[in-house]
Amino acid sequence: MRIDQTHRPWVIATVALAIVSTVAYVVYAVEAPAGPRGGSAMGLTFGIVGYGLMLYAGLLGARKRVPTWRIGRAQTWMRGHLWLGLLSLLLILFHGGFAFRGPLTLVLMLLFFIVIGSGILGAAIQHYVPSLMTSRVPLETIYEEIPHVRAQLREEADQLAAAICGPLNGSTEEQTQSVLVEIEHDDRERFREVYLRKVRPYLANPETQGNELGDPLRSGETFEALRRLLAEPVHGVLDDLENICEEEQQLSRQIRIYRWLHAWLLVHVPLSIALLVLGAIHAVMALRY
Amino acid sequence: MSDIQLTIDGLQVSVPEGTSLFDAARMNGIAIPTLCHQQNETPVGVCRVCVVDVEKARVLAASCVRPAENNMVVHTNSDRVQRTRRTLVEMLMADHPSPCARQRNSNDCELETLARLEGITEPRFPRRISPRGQDSSSLVIAVDHEACILCDRCIRGCDEIRHNDVLGRRGKGFMAGIAFDTNLPMGNSSCVSCGECMVSCPTGALTNKSVVQTVLPGEPVDVDELQQLSYFQKVSGTFLELNKNAVVRRHFRKGEIVCREGEYGSTAFYILEGQAEVSLATPMAHVNTESHGTGFLGKMTSRLFGRQQERRSEEGRRATIPIDAPVDLPYDHPVAMLGPGDLFGEMTCMSLYPRSATVRAATDCVMFEMLRNVLDIIQRNKTLKAQLEANYRKRALDDHLRSVPMFAALDQEFIDILRDKVELVRYTKGDVICQQGDIADSFYLIRLGFVKVSEPHPGGELVLAYLGRGGYFGEIGLLGGGVRTATCTALDHIELVRIHAEEFHRMVERFPEVRRSLETLVQERQQQNRQRLATATSMPLDSFLTQGLMDAQSLLVMDLERCTRCDACVRACADAHDGVTRLIREGQRFDKYLVATSCRHCSDPLCMVGCPVGSIRRRNSLEVIIENWCIGCGLCAKNCPYGNINMHPFTVMENDPVNLGRQMAVVKQKATSCDLCTDLEEPSCVYACPHDAAHRVEPNEFFRWVGTPLAPGSTEKAARRT
Repeated sequence: MRIDQTHRPWVIATVALAIVSTVAYVVYAVEAPAGPRGGSAMGLTFGIVGYGLMLYAGLLGARKRVPTWRIGRAQTWMRGHLWLGLLSLLLILFHGGFAFRGPLTLVLMLLFFIVIGSGILGAAIQHYVPSLMTSRVPLETIYEEIPHVRAQLREEADQLAAAICGPLNGSTEEQTQSVLVEIEHDDRERFREVYLRKVRPYLANPETQGNELGDPLRSGETFEALRRLLAEPVHGVLDDLENICEEEQQLSRQIRIYRWLHAWLLVHVPLSIALLVLGAIHAVMALRY
Repeated sequence: MSDIQLTIDGLQVSVPEGTSLFDAARMNGIAIPTLCHQQNETPVGVCRVCVVDVEKARVLAASCVRPAENNMVVHTNSDRVQRTRRTLVEMLMADHPSPCARQRNSNDCELETLARLEGITEPRFPRRISPRGQDSSSLVIAVDHEACILCDRCIRGCDEIRHNDVLGRRGKGFMAGIAFDTNLPMGNSSCVSCGECMVSCPTGALTNKSVVQTVLPGEPVDVDELQQLSYFQKVSGTFLELNKNAVVRRHFRKGEIVCREGEYGSTAFYILEGQAEVSLATPMAHVNTESHGTGFLGKMTSRLFGRQQERRSEEGRRATIPIDAPVDLPYDHPVAMLGPGDLFGEMTCMSLYPRSATVRAATDCVMFEMLRNVLDIIQRNKTLKAQLEANYRKRALDDHLRSVPMFAALDQEFIDILRDKVELVRYTKGDVICQQGDIADSFYLIRLGFVKVSEPHPGGELVLAYLGRGGYFGEIGLLGGGVRTATCTALDHIELVRIHAEEFHRMVERFPEVRRSLETLVQERQQQNRQRLATATSMPLDSFLTQGLMDAQSLLVMDLERCTRCDACVRACADAHDGVTRLIREGQRFDKYLVATSCRHCSDPLCMVGCPVGSIRRRNSLEVIIENWCIGCGLCAKNCPYGNINMHPFTVMENDPVNLGRQMAVVKQKATSCDLCTDLEEPSCVYACPHDAAHRVEPNEFFRWVGTPLAPGSTEKAARRT
């Protein structure tokens, strides 16, 4: 989600609530004879409201599972999740009086900081990275379709190569008979070697580190060198192969950026669930004992 | 009557008075070649190939028209005659496309045979420079004006033998040719397809169109037997012989399926005996958002899902589903009966549309199954045409008239008066029914086929609508100033119910409520047309036009700088539509926006052309929706140029034909496309996007965004507007 001027009402509301809470907390902390404590009325109020906000923030996941329910637009829920979730940290800190007594509380606060931290990181990533994806992956496809697109690209490249040097696995006679572009035999063999040694392995495993065709700069240099090496009629096919390699590079880039966009959720979501569960346990234990 | 004595080629002969030299020679075993003359037609002597040398005569005479005279001495094969005949044949061959169609098909072109006998291989004369052209408008007869030698045999066949008076001459001298009616294409003329002209033609100018290479299952029907039927009586036997494989008799046992909805076919059926039940077998399951709940729980869930009251007010009037038969099916119980004399499957046969309904023999039935050439012959037969028109007037005209919103509430008296006033007219593919600016002289209701309504526009043609069976046009011109405001063109073989202007005006004067509703409708239509033209004229970018986005009424646009590729939109769409998504987050990019693959509700909705049951249509609010009686033929998906309509299999329960009384699960295909979540407050994809990235926008709005910073809240406004 892009955090722009449309978030202003949420920012104002959050800051206002934070100021009110802070004033209340300062007054309460100054006047409380034993100092601020979670078990006091004020401390419990901060705790309950803070946990309520945490629960609300956590419900975003549930809300996404029922996208057609008319219980508020998803973007409203998302904004609430961001800003009220952030506010909940302050309230929970006020609830504990900035002290983390006991192992459960310590774990809870540690989890809370990680959850909030990963959330802020996620918000930042989702603010900046979509633009990066848009500008750097013009040929973006649906993430789940990438393996299928790659298979198509491989097939297309094989067909292009076969037009120059005949069937890649066929006999020499078959190879000579089925070529569509007439070039010298030596050039044909050279092209075959380059295709089988460099291009095909890259297209088969585009995620392999260090492959020169996986790097835009080196890939360009490689194809330029091939153009100098091979006869003119092959250049059209080389252009097409270079485009295929470039699309592969973009797909690899898309995978990387996509992982960046969503990988933080692997930390944020499970820890949020753990936090809510432990928070509930903490509340029961604190009230009961 | 006294006999005449004369000498032909040295032979003394005696013939009755009035006999032509040609006949006199023939009666005495002397053959004179000819092209324009036939025994059963009045001789006209236009080809002059039958010239003979009459002693003491100044010039050679055409034997077919020159009567025999006493003491005449005639030479049919003198050098002079041979030279002349050869020159004539050579001149005719100079303009003849050799081999012509007849020569190619049956090797019996009379002119080419004659040329061969005369030993003419290459004419000395130059060929005609300007072509005279072909006419392929008739379904059964191909016309090649290039091969015509102007012998007039076809004209005499049409006028003298069949008394149809359709054929005549056009042009003069070099530009002379045969013409149908007032020089109309043959298929558009009043030609009844009797085939006499084709049988009479000595060359390949009029030839039988070959039948589609389809072997029809069933019992072949004899030509003699066919000619006993009233609607084949006036058809040339030779012509029927040529087409006899195109019609078969079929016997169906009670309960047997004659044709199934959604199947492709190329034949029509004419019921001779028995009764057949026509129905829509596909269950009317909405491939759509779920229907409204009732009761407390239903209301609560409706509220939770944000469902609104049914907004399809215009659908409340829908009482029938149009099909390719002389009856329409009642919406609530889509079943009807057909009986002897009923013809069905015309659209499938003529335009190869999928079958619109399932027909099952209700009793043991005998039917003719025919290909389009035979269908064309019988459709042109005046007796059958009158019978079909009577059937239509009796059984479907009411429904069709009432399907027109402004006529929906009319009393029976109005319909009864109109019933006898209407005229049924036919057009073939590409015919312009009325042109913008023409005087408005009629109101039309579509009985068969599809009509394109368009307006010329600086950037090309702007399609205002595609109208199918039950659609109507022409009311704006009749009420709004007397001239046509748009051009209407036949997209395929169509049949229209025409109400003449005088009758129309008489009717609206007599029924003022009809006039009022018509005037309101005219205003609405004119307003819609103005809006569409405004949209079209304000599109600045070529790419926008070339991508077909100009056609769009509503685009699903993704702001790629906000979109985190979470696919919440896709999941929401699937969630709202029985688990089947109707959008794919992929498509054309414009700047930072992606126009997702989802129905654009085009202003030129090609998808609507050809739907055999009219289930894909545009609502008054302009979005294109697929109604629940979709039979799953897939034509709309094939027609959509943007791949935005998908066929999806659904498992539904149907009566088990084997175990009566039990139900079985069957998989049915239904077409699905974005319906803008019409019964929800807002499209689900937009509502469920947590990142404010998905928007439904109008094209104008969209282009105002491209290249300009987004104004806060503008997206929501745009989304709500659509």
